[in-house]
Amino acid sequence: MVKPKIICVTGGKGGTGKTMVAVNLATMFKNRGYKVLLIDGDVENPNTYLLLNGKLKNKTEVPYFLPKILEDKCNKCGFCAENCATHALLYIKDSIPILISTVCSGCKLCYKICPTNAIEADLKVIGWIYTSSAFDIDLFIGELKPSEARSAAVVKTLMKTLEKDIITDQNKYDIVILDTAPGAHCDVEELINQADLVIPVTEPTRFGKLDLLRIIELINLLNKEYRVIVNRSSLLGYKEKFLLDLEEKGIEVLGDIPLDEDIVSSYCQGIPLMESSRNSDKNGMGYKSFNEIFEKLMEWGEFSK
Amino acid sequence: MIKIAIPTCGNGGLNEIMNNRFGRCDTFTLVTIENNQISEVESVINRARDETGGVGIQAAQIIGNHNANEVIVDFLGPNAAFSLKALNIKIYHTPGGELTVKELIDLRLNKKLQLITSANVGAHQGMGRSR
Repeated sequence: MVKPKIICVTGGKGGTGKTMVAVNLATMFKNRGYKVLLIDGDVENPNTYLLLNGKLKNKTEVPYFLPKILEDKCNKCGFCAENCATHALLYIKDSIPILISTVCSGCKLCYKICPTNAIEADLKVIGWIYTSSAFDIDLFIGELKPSEARSAAVVKTLMKTLEKDIITDQNKYDIVILDTAPGAHCDVEELINQADLVIPVTEPTRFGKLDLLRIIELINLLNKEYRVIVNRSSLLGYKEKFLLDLEEKGIEVLGDIPLDEDIVSSYCQGIPLMESSRNSDKNGMGYKSFNEIFEKLMEWGEFSK
Repeated sequence: MIKIAIPTCGNGGLNEIMNNRFGRCDTFTLVTIENNQISEVESVINRARDETGGVGIQAAQIIGNHNANEVIVDFLGPNAAFSLKALNIKIYHTPGGELTVKELIDLRLNKKLQLITSANVGAHQGMGRSR
């Protein structure tokens, strides 16, 4: 099966410009004639579609397992509660276990081990998946239901949706760009793990560096190739020292993006800076640096149509 | 007959000070009341206290398995409150201060304690609290 090349844009720290980079990389691939899918895996705050002036469409539910105890079949042995890792089943001698649904991890262990098959698979909705498109880029967007904790499960459903698409049409996409949440949690891990190339986006601040080193630790644990983009590189004039620091640590840099008003206005308009139909300043710092980054990216990865 | 569970420090017992954490207390002191008088005192180690999560649920399970039908607490999290309610265990709130089990039982018998029906702190508030 031909697999599209998967690039994961991540970064540890929030607000470094992950989504802005992901959207513009997707746009540049599209400009060169690649078939591009952008997956928004920042399921707690999905917003790629806003930067693309798109709309959330084709809403589907993300179901999740919850045990349902059949009272007439339960022999009140307590075996399920004894083995529940998150203690979501409350058991008092000789009585039917009580489900504390908020702490249930959905692992199905109780369902599988019940000696009298008294546990049925019930479902709850933990989030939604949307599919959409804008500027000839296909979009998959995941959204976690407020108060739910299983963001990785929503992210997994996004990747399964991609898998199904590829099974029906191997050539549907040449490039898939994943946009992750900040942090180095399991939802981010899930996406990095699916990627061929990882691009952490950072900024030249103390927070930026700290969180970058954390996400690199995760990327290394997952044995993935990565190169860093330093966004807002003209900030405070610390760029040189920051880049030197990364070099000393052996961290490879794909490029940097200085502060540029044209980027800010593209953000506000909901039209990517690199979108060919937009009247972007071709000599602008942002435009030029994105083009340089793209050239380096093309050298780094092997991308076929 | 009523059986009152109180989260306690150390080994528990009538002269022990109440522990302000429910799920992460050291022991539960269980006091049985018959004819408005203490008839039995029992200490149970809280095996749930060092677990990473779900301690409120397990602590409720421990006192439920010891047939407690009332509990006196200070801080109570959402999972613990839900579990105690599911087990029909009445929840009383301490007026505060470093009170012993004996003092709290006297307050309870003199009807000086307030009933509560829901959590008064968020999840995981018991983690890392001093006492």
